[in-house]
Amino acid sequence: MNVSRRHLLKAAALGSASLAAPHIVGRAFAAEPIKVGALYSQTGNLAVAEKLLANGVSMAVAEINATGGVLGRPVEVVVEDGASDPKTFSEKASKLIVKDKIMTVFGCHTSASRKAVLPIFEKRGAMLFYQTHYEGFECSRNVIYSGAVPNHQLGNYIPWIVKTLGKKKFFIVGSNYIYPREMAKVSKKLIEAAGAQWVADEYLELGHSEWAVMVKKIKESAADVVLSNVVGDSIIAFYREFKNQGISQADIPICATVTSEIEIAAMGADYAAGSYTSFPYFMSLDMPGNKSFIERFRKFVNDPKQVTYHSLEAAYFQVFLWKQAVEKSKDLGAEGIRTGIAGQSYEAPGGKVTIDADNLHCWLTPRIGQWQADGQSKVVDAYPHPIKPLPYFAYGETESNLFCTSKGLDTAKLKI
Amino acid sequence: MIDVFFIGLSLSSILLLVALGLAITYGAMGVINMAHGEIVMAGAYVAVLSGIWLKTSFYVALPLAFLAAAALGWIIERLVVSRLYGRLLDTLLATWGVSMLIQQAIRLEFGLTFLGIHIAGLGSGLQNVAVPPELQGVVNIAGLELNAYRGFIVLVTVVLTALTWFIMYRTSLGMKVRAIIRNPKMAAACGIDVRKVNALTFAYGSGLAGVAGVMMSGFKGVSPDLGSSMVVDGFMVVVTGGLGSLIGTIMASGLLGETNALVAVATNDILARAVIFAAVILVIVLKPEGLFSFKRR
Amino acid sequence: MTLDRRLTLCAYALFIVAIFAVPLFVDEFGLNRIAKFLVYGMLGIAIALSWGYAGILNLGQGLFFGLGAYMLAMSLKLASPTSLQQGADKPVPDFMLWNAEPGAPTDLCCINKASFLWLPFQHQSFGLVMGIALPVIVAALLGIIVFRKRIEGPFVSIITLALVLLVRLVLVDAQPVTGGFNGLTDLASLEIFGFEFDPYSKGTYWLVASILTLTLVWTRLIVETRAGLVLQAARDDQRRVRYLGFDVSLYQTFFFCVAAAISGVAGMLYVIVAQFASPTFMDLAFSVTMVVWAAVGGRASILGACVGAILINMMEAGISETEALVGAWKAIIGLVFVLTVLFLPRGLGGLLHDLIGRFASVGRDKRRVAHVPMSGAAVTETKEA
Repeated sequence: MNVSRRHLLKAAALGSASLAAPHIVGRAFAAEPIKVGALYSQTGNLAVAEKLLANGVSMAVAEINATGGVLGRPVEVVVEDGASDPKTFSEKASKLIVKDKIMTVFGCHTSASRKAVLPIFEKRGAMLFYQTHYEGFECSRNVIYSGAVPNHQLGNYIPWIVKTLGKKKFFIVGSNYIYPREMAKVSKKLIEAAGAQWVADEYLELGHSEWAVMVKKIKESAADVVLSNVVGDSIIAFYREFKNQGISQADIPICATVTSEIEIAAMGADYAAGSYTSFPYFMSLDMPGNKSFIERFRKFVNDPKQVTYHSLEAAYFQVFLWKQAVEKSKDLGAEGIRTGIAGQSYEAPGGKVTIDADNLHCWLTPRIGQWQADGQSKVVDAYPHPIKPLPYFAYGETESNLFCTSKGLDTAKLKI
Repeated sequence: MIDVFFIGLSLSSILLLVALGLAITYGAMGVINMAHGEIVMAGAYVAVLSGIWLKTSFYVALPLAFLAAAALGWIIERLVVSRLYGRLLDTLLATWGVSMLIQQAIRLEFGLTFLGIHIAGLGSGLQNVAVPPELQGVVNIAGLELNAYRGFIVLVTVVLTALTWFIMYRTSLGMKVRAIIRNPKMAAACGIDVRKVNALTFAYGSGLAGVAGVMMSGFKGVSPDLGSSMVVDGFMVVVTGGLGSLIGTIMASGLLGETNALVAVATNDILARAVIFAAVILVIVLKPEGLFSFKRR
Repeated sequence: MTLDRRLTLCAYALFIVAIFAVPLFVDEFGLNRIAKFLVYGMLGIAIALSWGYAGILNLGQGLFFGLGAYMLAMSLKLASPTSLQQGADKPVPDFMLWNAEPGAPTDLCCINKASFLWLPFQHQSFGLVMGIALPVIVAALLGIIVFRKRIEGPFVSIITLALVLLVRLVLVDAQPVTGGFNGLTDLASLEIFGFEFDPYSKGTYWLVASILTLTLVWTRLIVETRAGLVLQAARDDQRRVRYLGFDVSLYQTFFFCVAAAISGVAGMLYVIVAQFASPTFMDLAFSVTMVVWAAVGGRASILGACVGAILINMMEAGISETEALVGAWKAIIGLVFVLTVLFLPRGLGGLLHDLIGRFASVGRDKRRVAHVPMSGAAVTETKEA
């Protein structure tokens, strides 16, 4: 057992029996360990977000090892650093797959890094577990997507904003890359379908933190709601500038698709109070598994204030889905995972999740949270059950007319 | 229109905050300090840590950050930069290494993560700096609604610029610095302790960067890579303004900041940034000595 | 032939033999990885040429690398099977449909305003040619403007830096045409005369190693020509060379273009080996890092800079894959950079040369030692001429 030296040291420093245990159990295993990869940025500007995801994976593996491992064998995580650079991601992916012959890799956060490593997985027949909510339009048979796709995040969100909040004029703003642009595209369709209108669709460079002009434009646009697909650091500067220019979330709420507990904590809860985010998971969810998940994670990273959020939860539960899949098919290869994981369900901290048998994406429960003054969200609207993921939602995919099936992408349906 | 001008003014102030320190270290001392952005970042972390440890207000972080950043600058000068005077491009490379080192040290909480020790506030997470309530929201000045925090940034910048001008032109230290800029050997021959003055100047420039960091922490997220994009903007301002010219740096930041605001309002922020890059290239091609420089030596 | 020159020749021969012997010792992953490092070695050569020989510190070398990479990647993207699965009869890059306005035609010519630019890239040879041509054209334009105006030193550096950031910004913003921040991924393998260059194959490694060898030898030869000598003289004292009647800017522009061409070829080879192109090729950090490789290896030595790039990348790979150091490797690399600049101003190449020089000159005139390899060569050349 070998989660990475750092975590073991941490565990030791904590004196936590529950965390130190896997180490001892690991020694007791007679069988050869199963190696899996964890490919996240440990350095560079994306390390802020990705290190936590790596920790989520490591914690899941530690827990699996503590309860007997997978197929009676311990699991060993090989941690590689993507260094926030697609060049490094591609190189480390080929190191894990081609050199170390590891067939299962948990990893990647940005679409850019996933796109850069994907061909290696497909050509070498390895399996990537990708936990981040993303823009869809992908139907790889070598990726298990455990995060949300646009129909989870926007399908009920936009109609809810129009009907329940009574908003009619959307100002769409995002960081300048594929996810926000796709989200904007889906949103526009939904906004028009709901009988509202959008007044602007604006973008800022990734990592941009100067919001004075954009917020001024929002102020002057006569929009009554902002749909934000802004990512990363920029979020903090955005919400702060929003308040600092005297706009109240009560008048023009920011409805976001990326803003999570982690950004709220960084900006200061009072800046976000009253705004909304649509995610399948919130830290505040009152679920039996969630409280304990938060507690265990805080202990694992040795930070009593650590927040949990959607991508982290997905990074964590995807490991259990993998375990169930290989135990079902008794095959550690990509084909085994693929057949084993279809329809596989798991009781995650945020409720039941299921991997779809058609497109290998995840059934998740759409929820809308309103941020409160304490930095936590209050779920103001939720689906009663998980819904089917539709990665080609933006192009007219519906549950009865699937574009992405177990046979791959049906390109004939892909007319714009 | 006035609000656009005000936005431009606040953009200029932020540019100037970063560039002031560079104008001194690069413009005056001939050191391309790529770690300047990391010193800004360190200043922001001083704001984070003083909030957590000392429970003091945001304002107290300003002098603390100045001192801490100045100390950091002093160390960098003594250990690295002082060995490289006269080797302009080597200073660029060595300080690039320093910047990697500082960034990763903060990310690893000075390596303590290896020992399982966690310092709240340091580390890879995004940090939160509490801004006093009076700096949030808007203030009304003569019927104009102005962003209070941006007003504060402008104010701090004006004060620091005035202070820098005073030190450079009204104190004996400033005179020594200017003497060294003109001719270090002659200055030394006149009995100026060049080593000491250089170290002090570098520390002062770094201290300014530290204050800039605190100001950044109030409107954007604090993370280990906070400063990495800043150093480029700073250099562009200094080069556009003309090396060794304080007034040039001030004018250049004003020009670039206002241009940025105007173009961004008229079109969008991405185009505005492109225009700034293009403008800098154009200025160097047309007037390589800088817009407002004086002839030296 | 002086001893210096003989030793330099030996070093080149040794290096070339070494890179061609690599396939005997490593597996397919090792081949692919070292092929990437050899590509970085070419960037080291480009930097040494423009910085060490022409005195132009280009902080935007990534621009030429990126342009070369994108040109070939555009061709390979259209050749990729994914481009044929987008509902059109002719290949269309998948991301274009992604970004298309609803109801737009799915034809490559007119899917958006600029998509016609992709049309010639349906011929792979066009991509290959443009991979060298575009960097050279950009470098020539830039060189003519900058060097005619006699801009030098850090000002050239800032211009190149601003330019690479500008192009990167535009590239990311023009997402419907360029793939934006994701870059171009899912590329086909390069195919020449029916031979497919699989990135993990020996064939691809031979290709990269041969091109590196050619570049190395060729660069070495051109800096020893008369033009190369004029260039070096101009690096040391521009005015004097100008007074001698040489149009310095012409020489500078020429070698700037050569460095750009080498970088463009490196970009293309990287696309063949790594199978993607990304706007991060034009990150400031990447361009500065290249310069540091050259500095560590020895900026004034073509072979040194090349070896420096390869060594640092090997070291990075080694440290970052050591489990205990996975978080700290960047700090260690940073420290290595600082120490090299402080204590080995002429890099490893310089150090090695000094050592050999000292060893060889035992009992002889110590002054010979002071010669750096190419100035030694330069002296010989001039004498012969």
